[in-house]
Amino acid sequence: MAVGRFWPHVRAALLLFHVTAVLLAAIPAPEGGMQRSAWKDPTVQGEFDEWYTRFRQLGYQGDRTAFEEGLWKFAVAYSKVRGKVLAPFRPYYRYAGTTQGWRMFVAPHRFPARLSIDVHRNGTWENVYVERSTTATWLADILDHDRLRSATFRYSWPQYAKTYSQFCTWIQMRASVDFPDADHLRVRYFKYRTRSPEEVRANEPEDGKWILVRELPLPEPRP
Amino acid sequence: MWRRLVELTSAKEDGLSFAIFRALIGACLLATVGTVIARGLVPIIWIDREWGGYRTLGDRSWLVTLLGGPRPEAVWLVIAVALLSGVALVVGLGGRFTALVASQTWLALSLLNGHCGGSYDELLSNALWLLVLGPCTRTLSLDSRIRTGHWLSSEPIGKWARYLVVFQLVVVYCSTGAQKVSAYWTPVGGFSALYYILQQPSWQRTDMSFLAYVYPLTQVATATTWLFELTSPLLLVSMWLRAHPDRGGRVRRFFTRIDYRIPFCIVGVGMHLGIQALMNVGPFSLISLSYYVAIWRPDEIASVARRFGEWRARGAHNSEAPATRIVTS
Repeated sequence: MAVGRFWPHVRAALLLFHVTAVLLAAIPAPEGGMQRSAWKDPTVQGEFDEWYTRFRQLGYQGDRTAFEEGLWKFAVAYSKVRGKVLAPFRPYYRYAGTTQGWRMFVAPHRFPARLSIDVHRNGTWENVYVERSTTATWLADILDHDRLRSATFRYSWPQYAKTYSQFCTWIQMRASVDFPDADHLRVRYFKYRTRSPEEVRANEPEDGKWILVRELPLPEPRP
Repeated sequence: MWRRLVELTSAKEDGLSFAIFRALIGACLLATVGTVIARGLVPIIWIDREWGGYRTLGDRSWLVTLLGGPRPEAVWLVIAVALLSGVALVVGLGGRFTALVASQTWLALSLLNGHCGGSYDELLSNALWLLVLGPCTRTLSLDSRIRTGHWLSSEPIGKWARYLVVFQLVVVYCSTGAQKVSAYWTPVGGFSALYYILQQPSWQRTDMSFLAYVYPLTQVATATTWLFELTSPLLLVSMWLRAHPDRGGRVRRFFTRIDYRIPFCIVGVGMHLGIQALMNVGPFSLISLSYYVAIWRPDEIASVARRFGEWRARGAHNSEAPATRIVTS
């Protein structure tokens, strides 16, 4: 009887806890982007340049370096406070699956990287996979799935170097089976600036460079 | 204040909207896990490197750790249970227990390899947890059939269950909108964000350079998306105001006259269909759209279903009529 009388209050308290936990975790934060190396990416630098120009127009006096340093300090301090506020709710996020990381397409990546895989056989490099290619489609069934897209997107960023190496080793293992006559494998990204609508209409070429180049031997003899 | 909160969380309604949400989320769980199995990705992304996976997986999932780590036997067992609980959610068997099993098994799988996932995983885990909180199999379920002899039951559930679903949807939109701090999303950057996002090879379905020829359309889509997300809390406000039309006030009268849910759903569904057509971001749109059912009251859904049933019956009657005449003549 007593339980029945108090239940509406307990229920209201539990629901209030849930709503509070969700709201606090959903407040915008730079989580996942707090690496100095990631801040050096041209896409991120381009954003800072744009906002620095706007702030200057609004009367900001500091130089570009001080502007970025100020943002970094603010982000670090903000993340620290956020971490303390969310600490009591962490078990609820972790064990109930109520995390709220909705940082979806916060900014277009103006300097994306396209994964490319080559095998070396008969003395020449042969391109076997390129992201979104309709002709170089080796492993496309796997690598084009949304879950692997998510992974290959990450591995073009410097903070994922260790896992990128493991990923390349796995590609090496697959290549050694699928290309028994090849002697080397090359995995790399083409990092380029996405063309503006005007540049596309003028048919201007993509401007970029190869990054994260990994050349791996394919062991012999193989089945 | 507290008394009003207790009253609010004690209000009841038919459980139809929440039950449809349950069935859709069950189907999303099946589809999400199903595509990973169908593409042969389980041994690659969810099994540790030691047993053939492409990377070293940690021990982020307590359930998989308890079963011995991300080795094939453990992971396939979790997958099997997740699929079974997905089916049980679709048919409405097992109530909150099933939802808890589905929630924990999905959480275990999604935590295995954080590099191979996205916000859609969180959207699904949040949805499954809401099904644990609310009585999700009260109606339109095998549970109801067993309990009452009917698939549908008028036994009420707390209104809060449906409101929590809408609240979560609004939190997703508003939070992502507030984090779109890039100049490209704003007039400063010419509302060019979507054009450039669709040029990124990671997410585009196919080559999207043709968008350069319809660039103004992408600008309209960018502005619409950004404003839609930022103003999404208006949905909750309008639902709250419409629920109490007797209390008066200019804003309330406005939202009583204009059903804000209709433009919200038109823009939201349009946005997700656009995402589905142009991008590959996994089951994000499917899961998001499943939340939309909670925007509508159970009596509204029942009314639409009734009218649809009458329309079908009329159609069947009309198509039978000429055949009957031919036979009798």
